[in-house]
Amino acid sequence: MKRYIYINHDDLAQDLYCDNRISNRKYTLWNFLPKNLWEQFSRFMNQYFLLIACLQLWSLITPVNPASTWGPLIFIFAVSATKEAWDDYNRYLSDKKANEKEVWVVRQGVKKLIQSQDIHVGNIVWLRENDEVPCDLVLLGTADPQGICYVETAALDGETDLKTRVIPSASMGIDFELLHKIKGVIECPSPDKDIRRFDANLRLFPPFLDNDMCPLTIKNTLLQSCYLRNTEWACGVAVYTGNETKLGMSRGIAEPKLTAVDAMIDKLTGAIFVFQIVVVIVLGIAGNIWKNTEAKKQWYVEYPNESPWYELLIIPLRFELLCSIMIPISIKVSLDLVKSLYAKFIDWDDQMVDLETRIRSHATNTAISEDLGQVEYILTDKTGTLTENKMIFKRCCIRGTFYGNENGDALSDAELLNAVSTGSTDVIQFLKVMAICNTVVPIQSNTGVISYKAQSQDEEALVRAAASLHMVFVNKNGNVLEINFNGLLLRYEVLDILEFTSDRKRMSVVVKCCLSGKIYLLSKGADEAILPLARSGQQTRTFSEAVEQYAQLGLRTLCLASRELDDDEYREWSLMFKEANSKLVDREWRVAEVCQRLEHDFEILGVAAIEDRLQDGVPETISTLRKAGINFWMLTGDKQNTAIQIALSCNFVSPEPKGQLLLLSGKTEDEVCRSLERVLLTMRITNTEPKDVAFVVDGWALEIALKHYRKAFTELAILSRTAICCRVTPSQKAQLVELLKSCDYRTLAIGDGGNDVRMIQQADIGVGISGREGLQAARAADYSIGKFRFLTRLILVHGRYSYNRTAFLSQYSFYKSLLICFIQIFFSFISGVSGTSLFNSVSLMAYNVFYTSIPVLVSVLDKDLSENTVMQHPQILFYCQAGRLLNPSTFAGWFGRALFHAIVVFVITIHSFVFEKSEMEEVSMVALSGCIWLQAFVVALETNSFTILQHLAIWGNLVAFYAINLIVSAIPSSEMHTIMFRLCRQPLYWTTIILITMAGMGPVLALKYFRYTYRSSKINILQQAERLGGPILSLGNIESQSRSLEKDISPLSISQPKNRNPVYEPLLSDSPSATRRSIGPGTPFDFFQSQTRLSSTYMRNSKDN
Amino acid sequence: MFVVCDCLLQVITICFAVGTIFIPIGLFSLQVSQSVLEIVDRYDVECVPPSFRSNKLEYIKDSSIPKNCSRYLQVNKHMKAPIYIYYQLDNYYQNHRRYVKSRSDKQLLYGLKYNYTGSCSPEDANNGLPIVPCGLIAWSLFNDTYSFFHGADALKVNRKNIAWESDRNHKFGKHVYPFNFQNGSLIGGALLDPAIPLSDQEDLIVWMRTAALPSFHKLYGRIEEDLHADEILEVKILNNYNTYSFGGRKKLVLSTSSWLGGHNNFIGIAYISIGSSFIFIALVFMLLHVKNPRPYGDTTNISWTWTGISS
Repeated sequence: MKRYIYINHDDLAQDLYCDNRISNRKYTLWNFLPKNLWEQFSRFMNQYFLLIACLQLWSLITPVNPASTWGPLIFIFAVSATKEAWDDYNRYLSDKKANEKEVWVVRQGVKKLIQSQDIHVGNIVWLRENDEVPCDLVLLGTADPQGICYVETAALDGETDLKTRVIPSASMGIDFELLHKIKGVIECPSPDKDIRRFDANLRLFPPFLDNDMCPLTIKNTLLQSCYLRNTEWACGVAVYTGNETKLGMSRGIAEPKLTAVDAMIDKLTGAIFVFQIVVVIVLGIAGNIWKNTEAKKQWYVEYPNESPWYELLIIPLRFELLCSIMIPISIKVSLDLVKSLYAKFIDWDDQMVDLETRIRSHATNTAISEDLGQVEYILTDKTGTLTENKMIFKRCCIRGTFYGNENGDALSDAELLNAVSTGSTDVIQFLKVMAICNTVVPIQSNTGVISYKAQSQDEEALVRAAASLHMVFVNKNGNVLEINFNGLLLRYEVLDILEFTSDRKRMSVVVKCCLSGKIYLLSKGADEAILPLARSGQQTRTFSEAVEQYAQLGLRTLCLASRELDDDEYREWSLMFKEANSKLVDREWRVAEVCQRLEHDFEILGVAAIEDRLQDGVPETISTLRKAGINFWMLTGDKQNTAIQIALSCNFVSPEPKGQLLLLSGKTEDEVCRSLERVLLTMRITNTEPKDVAFVVDGWALEIALKHYRKAFTELAILSRTAICCRVTPSQKAQLVELLKSCDYRTLAIGDGGNDVRMIQQADIGVGISGREGLQAARAADYSIGKFRFLTRLILVHGRYSYNRTAFLSQYSFYKSLLICFIQIFFSFISGVSGTSLFNSVSLMAYNVFYTSIPVLVSVLDKDLSENTVMQHPQILFYCQAGRLLNPSTFAGWFGRALFHAIVVFVITIHSFVFEKSEMEEVSMVALSGCIWLQAFVVALETNSFTILQHLAIWGNLVAFYAINLIVSAIPSSEMHTIMFRLCRQPLYWTTIILITMAGMGPVLALKYFRYTYRSSKINILQQAERLGGPILSLGNIESQSRSLEKDISPLSISQPKNRNPVYEPLLSDSPSATRRSIGPGTPFDFFQSQTRLSSTYMRNSKDN
Repeated sequence: MFVVCDCLLQVITICFAVGTIFIPIGLFSLQVSQSVLEIVDRYDVECVPPSFRSNKLEYIKDSSIPKNCSRYLQVNKHMKAPIYIYYQLDNYYQNHRRYVKSRSDKQLLYGLKYNYTGSCSPEDANNGLPIVPCGLIAWSLFNDTYSFFHGADALKVNRKNIAWESDRNHKFGKHVYPFNFQNGSLIGGALLDPAIPLSDQEDLIVWMRTAALPSFHKLYGRIEEDLHADEILEVKILNNYNTYSFGGRKKLVLSTSSWLGGHNNFIGIAYISIGSSFIFIALVFMLLHVKNPRPYGDTTNISWTWTGISS
């Protein structure tokens, strides 16, 4: 299918394709009800409840008024539907905002400001700098004479770098004014979601002659939701509009995440369902037997002698209906409600506000807070997540001279300043590359202050550093760069930019010096992408040593290089480059290949080292969460040494002798296999020792390991509590998350950049840091926080409380439902197994919906331990991680409690209200009151921290129970007319209630106390300590202090088993001798600086504790 | 050194307090219950003439056989007025699903004006006409009668106000008269006087308050004079009601009353046993504490090893 688009033809195509109205709405006003109902009924629980409700309409089998099920069912559906409607309304509002945004569009040859939703296919849309592209456009003209414009595609693919877009050759050079009148036809495919493909043709009509077809590619398009950057204006013709844009087509519905707690509740519900079926079958058979033997003799029941076949089903169905309350209908609503409260608690938390940026933490996904408390693995990005992503140029090595090593800051190194002022050629060349080789745009404000706009933080850092070393990048005028060096204005014309790609790992520019006319190739990039390309004869050893040394310090390194080009060489190459750039197939690969033809024989100028500071509190956060039993994996695109250094400095791995790093490396399958086996072997041996063993793997080896040795790697993943994965791609990050998830671990992925989005979406919980790399990660994430250190609070406080509360609430919901259901079952034994309901419809309905749900809802305020205690004893999180508070055995406890309480209530009731008092309604109300009292005391007993709200809910609920029932009793037409008044006047009633309460609570209280004191869990011990008051001293502190001492004296070294015999060699070696041993073939490091830094970190850590 | 925890104190105090309050209450209610005097006489077997003992069903179904029967009740202790007369049915399932639902509250209140009596099935209509009061409960109304004699004098039995006042005023219509009742081929229980409105048919109202247990008392009337010790009462029973087909027992109960109700030792015994078990628990905890003192809230010896936690 193709579509033909007539450019700027107001009459045509208006009706052919949809307008640019964006709709993310799920429903319309008309289909809301049927569609929503359909969706709700696609869930098993709802189908079950609907089936029950429908069965109840059959009056022969219904034990109670159908309203007792229909009421709550309708209520629950109404609640979910309202929530959906509200969400949809919000979507509608945001759509409306986008739809009514005003854009410049050419109408009847005149530029007009119209609403975005009125754009039609074929319209010419005018954009200005920083405008959002309203629909998919084919570029026709830009402010740039070369026909280039820049777009940021982050919203589309998560990549933050600017991409260039060019106008098609056919419309090249068309005058600004003429663009309003341009006519033509575009032949393009029907809308699809491929954002990397656009195979179309353009033909302009006379007078724009060129009767040729002009091919169009994705390079000629501006896609919806991208931003126009660094370009004054651009215009294009709308090809896809509204929901038919590439973005609109690829918009998928995110799969809802299910928490482990939800899964457990589902499992338990399933178990209860099976139990219910068993009960129904047993009682159904018993009922039929009783009917055939006994009830036939009971003449007053008047069973007919002949009965239809389905008569056999009636009693089982009655029991099915009686027992249907076993699965509490209210549990879903209650859980949804409390979950949204948990999310609000996170939003409201004042201690998780980033003070610098005033960014609050936010829970986008309201449904998965419990999972936070059950996290077992945290996969973290490095840059921007652990570090601040504020790049600062710190050191450099120019031609073998190290600058900044003494004071740690090259910018204030007198030697360097001296070299600059004396005009050392090497240094100046180095600075020039720093200033020129980039895509930074300088912006001069009115006051003359120059600010730099860069897509890459590294580039910005370099340009800034160059500026403070008197090589100021002043202005970019088209392709001409102006550089002010000590008052001297240098001009360079940028001829070509060889862009950075993650494969090439370097970028270059070809510049022509306007003064001398000489052409230079200037490059910067990762060491392994630059150093091998050095001209023959140049010694690169000092540079690689410098790179290693800087990496040891946790600095990011960039190698800078340049080469002077011959005119001829450049001209020849330029042709190839242009040709490659206009290729339709495999363009990127071709371009890379062509680039490589120019990038060789480099004159290596030096190495620049850039610091990315650790965020505040990162080491503390990691060590706290470590203590909580959470395993950390660092996934970074950075190089190995930098990653290891950052890992060391933020407590990620422990230095010698406590820690040990194992390297998993190799370029071929064989190497990786051997390496993997070696690492696994060591891991198995050391697993029993109290040692922090971590493995380090790079992207290459990881690729092979995941592909060919998945099983072994999985075992390694399970054994290892820590891993550092360097040089990994976004998709590998996602694969690693997938791997851990497949081992049944709860994973949390945290990151800040577009490259983390996939991992964040893949993980059970995605946390985004609203950082400097933009907000994509935060937007894709379930939770967004301002700083890494808030993770502690998010997990230990919010996650833990959420888990505890949900665990209580869900089990309690089952308890109260089982309680009343057991009573019904017991009653059936004294009512001829005929399926009579002891309780009347009103009570049954109100029991589930009102009497028992309100007190338990305030359990969202319950705190078993204070926040401080939890923070001091993060180990307590184990109870949540291991699911200690909600599992089949705790559930069995609640089941037993329900059974016990049902027996107490039932036995006491039927023995107290005997003979002349055994009136049905009265007995039913006595039993019900007994249940209400018991449940109030159960909630009170299980509540750890009382606030006024909790008292109000628990005891107020009890009062409300009597108030409601007294009111109902006052209505003459109600079934229970005067019952409650009669009961409340009887001393027997009150003595019975007290008896029930005490008999029910006594054993529970005694058991709880016994457990609390004699079989106390760690939670109990901490609770006791809290009750005693005063400071809580824990081993944790002492340990960390002694550990930090240990560290100061421990020899610290890293050796890499490069080209070594296959015998296992530790990365962090055990003893000084090991260090010595590794000096030979490997590369030894001594890094006193980092050592002092480490110990100071630990000192701070222990002080903070 | 260890701290005696406030928690232990709390628990022990609660247990002792509950125990010391419960035992006296129990003793007291036991005494109250014991003070209630009760004469129970099972007559369903004795009232069947010996010739029919082997086939009671035939006896009860044959309406030509007179159902008169006399029982003599010995008063052991002085019983103060009012003395309540109950009949007790055992193994009678008034709470059966089929039975308990077979009534129409609306019809009882509004009579024939209320047409929908589907819930009363199978006793909803007869010969195409609705039955008032409809349903199995009304149909199976108990129809044994008792008259009491003190020697030759009839003892006055008050049969008024035996039903709940609220039922008479709000549940049973004042202008609703029995209609087409017990006209079917199958006669259940008692007949109702079509001239008396339902609100005054107190036996029916009492009967319609279904019992939750298969063994129950229903109020028949009150004797409003004291019965003296060693008196002998003669009860003339019309033994009409069929409990023989399902082996149900019929008993006549004369009982005084207390503020706790009738003769029922359960509450007293339960209170005493619960109270003493609370005290027992308190003692056990005290003993445990003395023999095996636990350092309370001592976090220093928490071992945070994984095995330590998981064990």
